[in-house]
Parts: sequence; structure tokens; C-alpha cells
Amino acid sequence: MTLTDFVSFLVKNTKTIMEYSENHFTLVLLAVGISLLIWVPVGLLLTKSDKWAARVLALANTIFCIPSLSMFAILVTIPMFGLGRKSALLALVLYAMMPLIRSVYDGVKNVDRNVIEAARGMGMSTKRILVEILVPLGMPIIFAGFRITVVMTTGIAAIATYIGERNLGRFIQEGLVRSNTPMMVTGALIISVIAIGLDTILGMIEKRIVPKGLRVSR
Amino acid sequence: MRWENFRFALFEKAPEALLEHSMIVVITITIAILISVPLGVFLSRPKYKKFGLVTLNILNLLQAVPGIAVIALALPILGLGMKPAIVALLFQSLLPIVRNTIAGLLGVSSDVKEAASGMGMSQRRILWEVELPLAIPIILSGIRTATVYVVSIGTLASLIGAGGLGNLIMGGLSLFRPEYLLVGAGLGALMAIFLDRMINYLEYRITPPGMRVE
Amino acid sequence: MIQLEQITKQYPGQAMPAVDKLYLSIPKGEICVLVGPSGCGKSTILRMINRMIEPTSGVVKIDGQDVTTTNPDQLRMGIGYVIQQIGLLPHRTIAENIAIVPRLYKWPKEKIKQRVDELIVMMGLDLEKTRGKYPSQLSGGQMQRVGVARAMAVDPPIMLMDEPFGAVDPIARTHLQDELLRLQKEIKKTIVFVTHDINEAIKMGDRIAIFNAGQLVQFGTPEEILTNPINEFVEDFIGRDRVVKKLNLYLAEDAMQPVKCLLREDELQNVAQKMKDTGAEVAFLVNEAGKTCGQISAVDVKEFGMDIEGLRKRARRRSNAFVQTTTPFPDALSLLLEYDADYLGVLKGEELCGVLSFQGIRKHVYRKEGE
Repeated sequence: MTLTDFVSFLVKNTKTIMEYSENHFTLVLLAVGISLLIWVPVGLLLTKSDKWAARVLALANTIFCIPSLSMFAILVTIPMFGLGRKSALLALVLYAMMPLIRSVYDGVKNVDRNVIEAARGMGMSTKRILVEILVPLGMPIIFAGFRITVVMTTGIAAIATYIGERNLGRFIQEGLVRSNTPMMVTGALIISVIAIGLDTILGMIEKRIVPKGLRVSR
Repeated sequence: MRWENFRFALFEKAPEALLEHSMIVVITITIAILISVPLGVFLSRPKYKKFGLVTLNILNLLQAVPGIAVIALALPILGLGMKPAIVALLFQSLLPIVRNTIAGLLGVSSDVKEAASGMGMSQRRILWEVELPLAIPIILSGIRTATVYVVSIGTLASLIGAGGLGNLIMGGLSLFRPEYLLVGAGLGALMAIFLDRMINYLEYRITPPGMRVE
Repeated sequence: MIQLEQITKQYPGQAMPAVDKLYLSIPKGEICVLVGPSGCGKSTILRMINRMIEPTSGVVKIDGQDVTTTNPDQLRMGIGYVIQQIGLLPHRTIAENIAIVPRLYKWPKEKIKQRVDELIVMMGLDLEKTRGKYPSQLSGGQMQRVGVARAMAVDPPIMLMDEPFGAVDPIARTHLQDELLRLQKEIKKTIVFVTHDINEAIKMGDRIAIFNAGQLVQFGTPEEILTNPINEFVEDFIGRDRVVKKLNLYLAEDAMQPVKCLLREDELQNVAQKMKDTGAEVAFLVNEAGKTCGQISAVDVKEFGMDIEGLRKRARRRSNAFVQTTTPFPDALSLLLEYDADYLGVLKGEELCGVLSFQGIRKHVYRKEGE
């Protein structure tokens, strides 16, 4: 397949590409949004109890191991979920559990105990310590987890075409089934480019997110 | 859902699929280790640090590519079958192992290396008797990540004719046989979890007691 | 004034309490040092004062008021707290770090800026260079000073310091100790200071509380403790050289005698006569400008007799055998040894005002031993 084939495909199917992209991004946005809302507080709570942290992280790890296609397939068999967005969302949120909880937990746990001790000793309230110290200092690790989550979700979302989603993965799916190589390759390329692009942009932000004080040195 | 379908899936179709899947995993990971570990060792040598950084950057970039795209792109380039799938999966399993090999080796305290050198150990000996043993837990962790990945994306390999548990799953989806789905997906999940736990346990056993981080 | 009444801290699962029925009354405006071996409970006690740890039983009272009646955060805002590892917020500038408690009190911006600048200067740091820097850009000693400055930001009457100078090198530590002592002369805060170093305790403390395994063993001034260690533990803890350690507590002016005999250089030939007339054991030489430039003892006179030149040379050799009124005994002793002298001239600034002899030092210490 040549470059012209690729470009002509893009031109001919712009409308579909737009539609699939929109579906893809809304799914990813929704999944990441819900994941942040659920897993970040959980991660923060777990920093208070090592016992529970170990259990929850073990659970998250186990869920994370499950092949995405397997996860989708199993969810489909459950009457409440079946084919479509609900299963896709649940799977994506479940996958986000591991990187988000892990990074929030690690990020906060890694903050120097002496800084927290001094802050408490000065009379800073728990809330203040969380907001002014733990989150800013834990941000580099937390954001790294966020980045992984976003990129991973984008990738797994494509697989959701097999349970009915109409997103960019569909080009690959249809392309395979109909032996339409240009479609398949284009689909694969588009989604690869988006994934790499997101990863790179978030990577650049990740570098900036380190608080200034932690970057400079004598 | 019917029991006959379950039985069929579990006893007739699953064994073959399981075998194919296992082959994919074993072959891919073996080759991945054979390439990645020496590469990681090479890149961790101070002389080649620049290469190391460049390689890591490239691998990092490739890692972002979704598994399904990797599998899909293998088709026009390599064709159908298990071999193309293995090559595709190989690409994605290199990074975790290379990265962890480098990290593990660089993480060996320079004091230890200095002392070993001071005792008269050659650089080669130090590598084999000091650095690698100390780095193995971390390297194993990278292998674990790669293994789970291959099991996972390997389910998609059936799309390009590689066989494996994906066949059961895809069959289940297109034939509306939830029994196939559960068997295929369930076995896939079990396999991934099992390998993850097993390698994790191996990491634990291999780490000398004094170095275990609780 | 801080009162610890029947304070006990028992950790679950441990046989002995970390702190056992402690009764301690810390006077206002003094530095009280809590000292003892590792694990004796001194840090635990300190942290019960600002409720970082809560006692299992007993009451902590500050100025008569039970500390549990105040919200812990509010309590801590009013107490300065300095820890060994300092704990500066790495993502905030030095100025921002120092401003933390003033901000909690919602001071106006101008007032905060003024106070921050004032404190940076007070701690001996360069204002322009330090304000906008981040902790990672400072040396250990500088960070410690910032830590102390931060604790003093709202001028709290009480400061709690847990091995504050432990993490810096000995030279920096000495400087920091001297700075704190100097500051304390002006600000007179109630400072509770924890250390495991008995020498630091003696140097810094107006009063010392020695602990062992959760128990208060002895409480008193450095002099009291060095003179009368209450038991073998304290003796061992202080060290076999406790009387030598006592020397640090005394200054030249404590044991000096009046000058009886002053000689000008051109009067050297009359030295024997003059000394006999004044009943002096030692004569000090002054030059034309009136500055002291040497000393001659009775022994020297016997040795050199009429040899004026020899006498002059001998006198000149001791031209630097002088101390200030504020020189501590150990430094004086060192000089005596250095010049092989029995006497030192004691100066106030440039002016000779007394004589310090080895015998004088000895008598003074021995007398204090008997008290």
C-alpha cells in the first residue's frame, strides 16, 4: 500500500473517520473521567491503611492481568451489560484501577515524611497538608499514572469494536473481515498515531509538572 | 446457555486453542528475553549510555501503540499465521524487559561494584556474578509485565490466523455462543493471572531475604 | 511555663512504657534540654507537648491550661517546632516556607514579607540570595537556619527543638548553637531542646533533664548535675571527665585576682623590688602605648636575677598569654600550657583588669565541687 492509497482513503472516508473518532474520544473521555473520580479518592484513602492498600492493589493487579478481549467477552455474557457501551465503560474503568490507584498511592506515600511531620508540627490541618503538600509533591508520579491510563484506555477502547462500539477500531475490524487492507492499515495507523501523539504530549506535560523546587539544584 | 455448548468449547475446542496460545506466549517471551536482556546489558554499559537513551526513547514511543494496531499492521507486512503474530507481539514485549534490565543493572550499588573490582574481579565476572544476580528480581518483573501483555494481546492474534484462545472468543461473539465466550475468555484470564502470580512468586523466591522489600 | 503531670506513654505490644509517670516542670524563658541515650523517650516527651503524640495518661499544661482543650492544629500554630531533618517544603521558596504559619494566621501580605525578611537576616543569611531560592539549593547549615527561622515566624513563646543541629557537620553545628544562644539572650523564649549529646546539653541548657528508659533520672542546672550526679547511670552518661566538662561553665572573670604589679619596660631592673613591695607573684609588662606586652613571674626573677635582657626575652615570650574576661576556663588552661605559664593576664577589651592563675582555676572548681 502506498502513501497515495493511504491519503486517498483518508479523503474518501473523512466523514466516517470523524464519526468513529468522536465515538472513540467520548468513550475514552468518559472512561478516564469516571476512573479519576473513583480511583483517585480510593488511592488517597489507601495511603492511610497499609493493610487495605495491599489487598486492593492485589485485586487491581489481578484485574489488570485479564486480557481485554476476555474482559469484554465476559461482561457481554452478563445480562445486565451485554453488548455496547456499558460493558466497554466498565471494562475500561476496571483497567484504569491499577495504574491510577498505584500511582496515587505511590505518589503520596513517597512524599518525604519529614516534610509532613514539620507541616503537622506547624499546625497545618490535614486538609491543607493534602492539598498543599501531598498532591503537589506526589504529582509527578500521579501524572505518570494518568498518562499511562489515558494511552492504555485509548488502545483498549479500539478493541471494544468487537462488542459493538463504533469507533476507530472498526476500521481494523472491518478491514480484517473484508480483507480490505487499505482500510485496516489506515485504521491501525490512525489509532497508532493518536496513541503516540497523546503519549508524547502528556509526556511533555509530565516533565513540566514537576514543581520548580524539585527540579533546580545547587 | 447450554451445557452441551460448554462441554464442546471446554473439551473439544479449548485444548487446541490453549496449546496454540501457550506456544505463542512461550515462543514470544523466550525470544523477547533472548533479545532484550543482552540488549539491556549492552545499553547499561557506561560506554553506550547514549545509545541506551535513544533506544529507550524509541521503545517507549512504540509502547504507546495499541495492541490491536500492532497485530493489524503485521498482516500486510508479514502475512497470516502464528509467525507474524509472534513478531508483532515481540515488538511490544521488548520494552518492559529492556527497560527493567537496564534499570536493574544500573540500580546495583556502585559501592558493591567498586568492592568487587577492588578484589580483583574482572568486569565480565562482575557482570555475571554481581550485577546480573542482583538485577534479576527487577528483570523478572519486566518479564512478568511482558508475559501478561503477550497473553492479553495474544487473544487478538487469532484475527490474523494465529490461533489461540482468541478463536474461541471470536467464535463466541460471532455465533452468539456465550459458552464459548466464557470458556475462551475465562481461560485467557486464568492463564494471565496464573503466569503473573507464578513469576511474581519466582521474583520473591529469587530475591535474597535481606533484600526483600516488604 | 510547661508542666508535664504524671505523663505516661504506653505503646501496645511493648512491655515497658516509653514514658513512665513523668513529672516535669519546665520554667518559662529558659532553655530546658531533654537528654539521654537513644530510645529513652525524650523525643516522645517533646512531641506530647504539641500533641503530635497523645499521652496514654497524664496531663500536659501550658501556662496552666491543659493542652487538650485547644484544637491541635491551633495549638501547634502557636508553638515553634524544629526537627532534625528540618522538613522544608521542597516545592516552595525559602520565603514561602518561612511564611507558612503567618499565612495560617492570615497576616496581611506586607506584614508577612517584612517578618520573613527580618528573620532571614536574623539568622545570618544573605537576604537577596536566600529569599527566592529553593531548599535543594541550600547547604545543610543554611537549611537548618531556615528551619529555625520558620519556627520563629509568628514569635511563639515556646519552641520545641528535636535534635535540630544533628544533621549538620560539627563546625556548622557549633555556629548554630552559638547563634541560638545569642538569640536567646535577646528573645528569652521557653525552649525545650532534645539531644543525645551531653556536651550539647551542657552548652545549651539552662536546665537539663536526663532520661533513661522512659524515666526522668535527674533534673537540674548543668552545674548541679556535673557537681552532683545522682547515680551511676548519670555519672557514666556524663563521662569520667565530668569535672573537666564543668570547666566549660566558668569564665576567666570568675576566678581572677586583682593585678598587683605593673611594670614599664624601662623599669625591668627594679622588678624584684617592685614585686616584693606589692606582694605580687607576677608582674605585667606594659609598653609605651600602655598595652600589655608580657609577664614576669617570681620564678623568672629568681632564674634570671640581674640578667635584664634574659628577663625581657622571657617576658616577651609570654606577650600573648592573655585572655578576655569572658574566656572559658578550658581555653585559659590551654593557653597556660601553651606558654608554660602559671599566670594569665585578663583583659576587658584592651584593658588589663585581672590575673588568672592555674591555682585560681583549681581552687574555684574545687570550691564549686563542695557546694
